[in-house]
Order: sequence, then structure tokens, then C-alpha cells
Amino acid sequence: MKLSISKDEIQEKLSNIQNIVEKRNTMPILSHFLLEAGKKGTHIVATDLQIAIKEPLAAKVQSEGKLCIPARKLFEIVREAEGDITIESEDETWIKVSFGKSRFRLACLPSGEFPAWPGVESAEEIRFGIDALSEMIEKTMYAAGETDTRYTLNGLLFHIKPGDGHITVVGTDGHRLALLQQGMEAKVTDEKKVIVPRKAAAELRRFFGGSESVSAIIGKNHLLFKIGDVEFLVRLIEGSYPNYEQVVPPSNEKKVVVSREDFLRTLRRVSIMSRERSNAVRVDIAGSSLAVSSSNPDIGEARDEIGVEYIGEDISAGFNARYLMDALGAMTSEKVIFALQDPLSPTLLTEEGKEEYKCVVMPMRI
Amino acid sequence: MVNIMSRIILCIDMDAFFASVEQKANPRLRGKAIGVIGSGARTVITTASYEARKFGVKTGMNIWEAKKACPHLILVIANNARYTHTCKGLEEIYSRFTPDVEIYSIDEAFLDVTATHHLFGGPEEIGRSIKRSIKEAFGINCTVGIAPNILLAKLVSDIAKPDGLRWIKPEDVEGLMEDLPVKELWGIGAKITERLAVLGIRTCGELGRAPSSLLRSKFGIYGETLKAMGKGICSRHVQAKPEDARSIGHSMTLPRDIRERKEIEAYLFKLSEMVGRRARKHGYMGKTIVLVIRYADFETFSRQSMLLDFTNDTHDVYEGAITLLNGIHLKDKIRLLGVSLSTLIHDPHQLPLIEEERKRKAVLRAMDYVNDRYGEFKLTWGSYIAREREAGVISPSWKPSGVKSVHLK
Repeated sequence: MKLSISKDEIQEKLSNIQNIVEKRNTMPILSHFLLEAGKKGTHIVATDLQIAIKEPLAAKVQSEGKLCIPARKLFEIVREAEGDITIESEDETWIKVSFGKSRFRLACLPSGEFPAWPGVESAEEIRFGIDALSEMIEKTMYAAGETDTRYTLNGLLFHIKPGDGHITVVGTDGHRLALLQQGMEAKVTDEKKVIVPRKAAAELRRFFGGSESVSAIIGKNHLLFKIGDVEFLVRLIEGSYPNYEQVVPPSNEKKVVVSREDFLRTLRRVSIMSRERSNAVRVDIAGSSLAVSSSNPDIGEARDEIGVEYIGEDISAGFNARYLMDALGAMTSEKVIFALQDPLSPTLLTEEGKEEYKCVVMPMRI
Repeated sequence: MVNIMSRIILCIDMDAFFASVEQKANPRLRGKAIGVIGSGARTVITTASYEARKFGVKTGMNIWEAKKACPHLILVIANNARYTHTCKGLEEIYSRFTPDVEIYSIDEAFLDVTATHHLFGGPEEIGRSIKRSIKEAFGINCTVGIAPNILLAKLVSDIAKPDGLRWIKPEDVEGLMEDLPVKELWGIGAKITERLAVLGIRTCGELGRAPSSLLRSKFGIYGETLKAMGKGICSRHVQAKPEDARSIGHSMTLPRDIRERKEIEAYLFKLSEMVGRRARKHGYMGKTIVLVIRYADFETFSRQSMLLDFTNDTHDVYEGAITLLNGIHLKDKIRLLGVSLSTLIHDPHQLPLIEEERKRKAVLRAMDYVNDRYGEFKLTWGSYIAREREAGVISPSWKPSGVKSVHLK
């Protein structure tokens, strides 16, 4: 195998896979990427067994071949390189990397050791606009769990119902939930629920630039995203996702209309004085005022108040300010609707005039 | 800044507390040599009445040793509820005299009466009034030590026992300390006594005069504290507000050594429930689970692991303990098991969103409510098969408030 390639091209492609390749040395092959140089095209393949990425590499191939190259080391070399880089294999276990007068020899592994690319069986294809998919991920990912023992919560649920031409994406950590519904182009016959790991959703965003649409092919255990020439394969989280429809309160009566920016600023201010970790604040709604207060026996207290549009009984509830701030931060409208029922029931945040995006926050007992 | 030498601190120490309470409750035990024990097969003497102490019966003796020392010794199984009830009543009495009360253990308390003693006729009179109030309310004796700090108050209460009252004024401190063996001081145990003896230090007078550099080189930063203690100086104040807990744990010596997995699991469940319940009661959640095992030959070790999230749910604690147990190859029968929860935070009382978890939390709340009202383990899980209650005696470190770890002896 012998090929030459521009520094910028390989640096960009290698930087895309740095979060996927194994950093710890548990399975050495996973810290390598597979380089496949062919006359028809050259590819980089990287995987952590949950995610697999195949991206094209614009290279001049002089002789074909494939090899597993340590991803971190080659990336470090490339970053220090100048001009075009030549990669040449000596045999199955060594390559030479050269540019200008610099020469490197790098230990490699044979291509046969690299995990096989899993096939996506009997699949249905859905197309999204890049912006739509990007929004679905951005607006729900913050609410998903990260290291939850209920492992299905460490992913985003993509729920596709046949017939209605909509997809719902949900993230929850068991305390708050974010849900976004979007239209899509698809011929789907069966209802589908797939759980995409949070890490995969985060990594997928890297490839959103430079393309307008994404196609997603849903298999039994895998989901394959195709963005231009990049293939991004995700192993789905198995297990059942909590019934999110049951969690979204259908008819909270106490609806408060509040300026999103004002509410966000007030929460940010008052939570300075709340207990670390819990970020507990108390929200008191009375007449046309919404007061946020916090107290920490060791530090002190804080209180702030903003005007709101509200007609109804007074209500007070405790919240983790972080949860409210995350939800408000993910919204874009000028005003939001904060709908409560009672101090111990789920509350709903929505953008004024829009129904598609819903954030549910469970109160704290105060 | 208040001059610490001018403080008036009372140490109130119940005389043979458990035994006295039993003698008060049962007139036939009064004036007799009795020993309070646990209900398990391998219990020890927790407290001996003064009548039994005359025969050499001591705390920690096993039944055989105690009976040998005093053949007519009457053994009484501890009644923890009686002691905790009395302790709570004592706390109420103390609060009539000063708000600055630290219940140090089930039978000892420190009272800072600097600001209130003049209302009751001075330090000795306030001490006598407290003694009288306790006698009237519970019919038991105590000893009151009065001193400028808690170290000296504890010391004089030990010296004045039983049924005594003694006041050591600042000007008498030096004379008292001069020939006092160091081991008499609160906080100096056998090990430190031995290490001091190597340096030629046997009395508090010698300790107070020992060069700082020498003590620092042998004991590090604690050397300074030791030197101050030798002079009768103690900067620790009466802590009226309990400190934040660092861990919540329970351990128990089993009624007999066990190796059977099912039996170990049952005890771990019981301990986990005690830990979870205590954490919930006091509003804590923890992230680290520690499992302590003592083999029949007294070899003791612990294993710990970090959970993914903070919890105070009995089942999470139990799962954590079982995971740790699975990682241990047991090489002998087990004599003692302990479970504790650390890396604590205050429970923010965040409600769960998912229905099943809300139910699970509600069940725990309901169970805690029932057990608060009707007693521990009145309502428990079906998976925990009701086994014979192997009640231990309440630990001396028991407090009416706070979350101090408790070892069931």
C-alpha cells in the first residue's frame, strides 16, 4: 500500500474519529483505525463497537492495500507535518510516514484483526433535513442521562409512528424530559422505537457540515446514518424506554406566560445561593409575579422576582434550577409557557405558540 | 473573643446508665449485682451495676468471665427503647438549664452554662439542680464534672464518680494535672500512653512541659494538641448543633459465625435497610458503598465501590453490598458484617418523573412512616424473610439526633 495525501485532508478526517477510538488500552485494535486504499476510493473506518464510522479520504493511491493504524499516534504526527504526507506499508505490521525530510516508522496491526462492519438487515429508510436532525439532537440531548444504571436513559429515543409522517425524539434522565416532534419523509409501515446512545448522537453532529440531508436506515440492532459519503453506524441500546407519553402532563391548568430571558436570568442569579449539586430553588407564583428564592443554611439566601401573565390560584414548588435553565436555554421563543398543576406533579415548559417542543421538569419536595 | 478559661462547662455522666435504668424499672433488681447484656448468643456485658463492679465485673467481659467473677450476677437483656427514651428525656431536662447542650453519647452530655449558671445560683448549684431533676424524673444517679473546658469537665466527672459533683476552677488546674497519669485524659488511649512512655512522659505535668519539637516529631500536628491537653487546655467547644455526617453505617456481630450465602444475604439486607432508612430519615444520600467483613479469627477488612448515582434507597445499598460480596472469595466463616454509605450529600428531594420510580419512592416513604410510628422492621420487604430478631444492645454512641454510625454489639 502506498498513498499520498494533503495534511489538511487527513488531519480533518483523523480528528473526526479521535473520540471514537479507544483511549485506554483494553482492546488494542480499537485504538486503531482501518485504512482501506483502493483505486476506486480510499476510506477510514473507526469503531468503539457501539459506533462505527466510515469516511472517505481524498488520497492519491499508488498501490492498493489495507492496514490498521494507531489513530492517536498518526494524528499527532499529522498535526506536526507540513505539506503532503506519504504513507507506505512495509508489510502487514509496519508503515512509513514521510513528509519533507521527516521519516516515521509506525507499528500497525493487520487489517484482518479489525472488527467487521455489521450489515444493516431488512431496513427502512427515512430522510431528514440536516437542520431538522440537528435540532432534534440539540434540544433533547441535554435531558438524557449519562451514566444511569437504567441504561436506556443514556440514549435518545427516536419514535416513528406509521402514517402521521412525524418523528418524536425524547431525552430523559428520570427527573426531567425533553421531547421534540418533527416532520419527515418516510415510507414507514410499522411503528418504530429506537434508542440511540447519547455519545453517538453527540458524535454524529460533527458530520453535519457540508450536507443538506441525512438518510437513516433503521435495522433491527443498528441504525445507519448516511451523510454525503460518510457512513455512521450506531448500535442501538436494547431494552424498553420509559413510557414518555405518560410522563408529559396533558392538561396542567396553572399556565404562566413568562419572558424566557428574564426567567433564565433570575434562575441563574438566585441559584448562586442554592445548595451545591441540588441547585434547589423555590418558585412562588402569586398574581402577576413569579418569585424565585433559594437558601443555603451555610451560605445565605437570595430572592428575585419577575412579572408574568397569570390568572389563577397561587402556587409554590421547588425545582432544580439547572433543569429549568437547561430547558429555557434550549428554547428560542421570546416567551415561554410554564404550566403547573400542583407542587408534586410534573410541570411543562413550552415555547409560546408552538406545540412541537415540550420540556417536562419534575419538582423537588420542599 | 471570649476567654476560654473563663467558660463554665458541665460534663454530665450517668452512673452505670443501662444498669441504673433497669434497676429503676424493676425494683427487684435494686441493690443487686446486675449485668446488662444483648440477646444474641455471643453477647458481652455492656454495663454492670456498681454492686457488680465491686466483684470485678467489667464492660466487655463475656458471660462466662462475668459469672466467674460474680457468681450471683443477674443478667438482664438490654431494652434499647427504654434507654433511648431516657436519653431523650435527659436532653429535655438539660435544655431547661442552657440551650448549649451536646449529647455526646447515650449517657454523657456536655452543657455550656457560661451564660446561664448565674440564673441558677452558680456552677455548683446548677449542677446540683440538674442532678436533682434527673433523680426526680428517672430515679437514676449521675456525676457532674464542672470545669473551664470539656476535657477537664470529663476528667473531673470521671474522678468524682459515682453520684458525685466536683468543680475544678482555673486556678486548680495545674495542681490537678501535675501528677495525673496521661491515660486518665479523655482521648489518650493505650497506644498513645505507650508511645508517650517511650519518651519518658507518664504524667500530664510532664506532657505539658515536654518540648513542642519532640512531640511534633513523634505525633505530627497532633503533638501540639497533646501538649495542650497535658496543660489541661482544650479548644473544642460544646457542639450544640450536630456536625454533618460523613458516613452512615451499621455493623453487627452475628449470633454465630456464618458462611451460608442465603444467611449472609439476609443480614446484608437488614443492614442495608438500616442504613437506607437512617439516610432517608436524616435527609442524606450517598454514592460510596462500603462492606466490612470480619472472619471468625477476627481478621477484618473492607471493600468499597462507587455507585453511578447518589442514593438512599435500601435496594440500591443492598445491590451495592451484594456486588462487593460477589467480588470476595470467602476464606472463612463470618463473624461480623457491616454496611455503610459515604460520599454523602443532602438529599435534594428531587421527585422522579417516571411512574414506577415515583411509586417505589412512595413505598419507601410509606414504610418509613409506619416504622417511625410503630418501631423498626414492623413493616419490611417480603424478600427479607422475617428471622428471629437478634437484637444487639444499643451503642453508647447513640444520639437522639444526628446520624452517627452505630455498631450493634
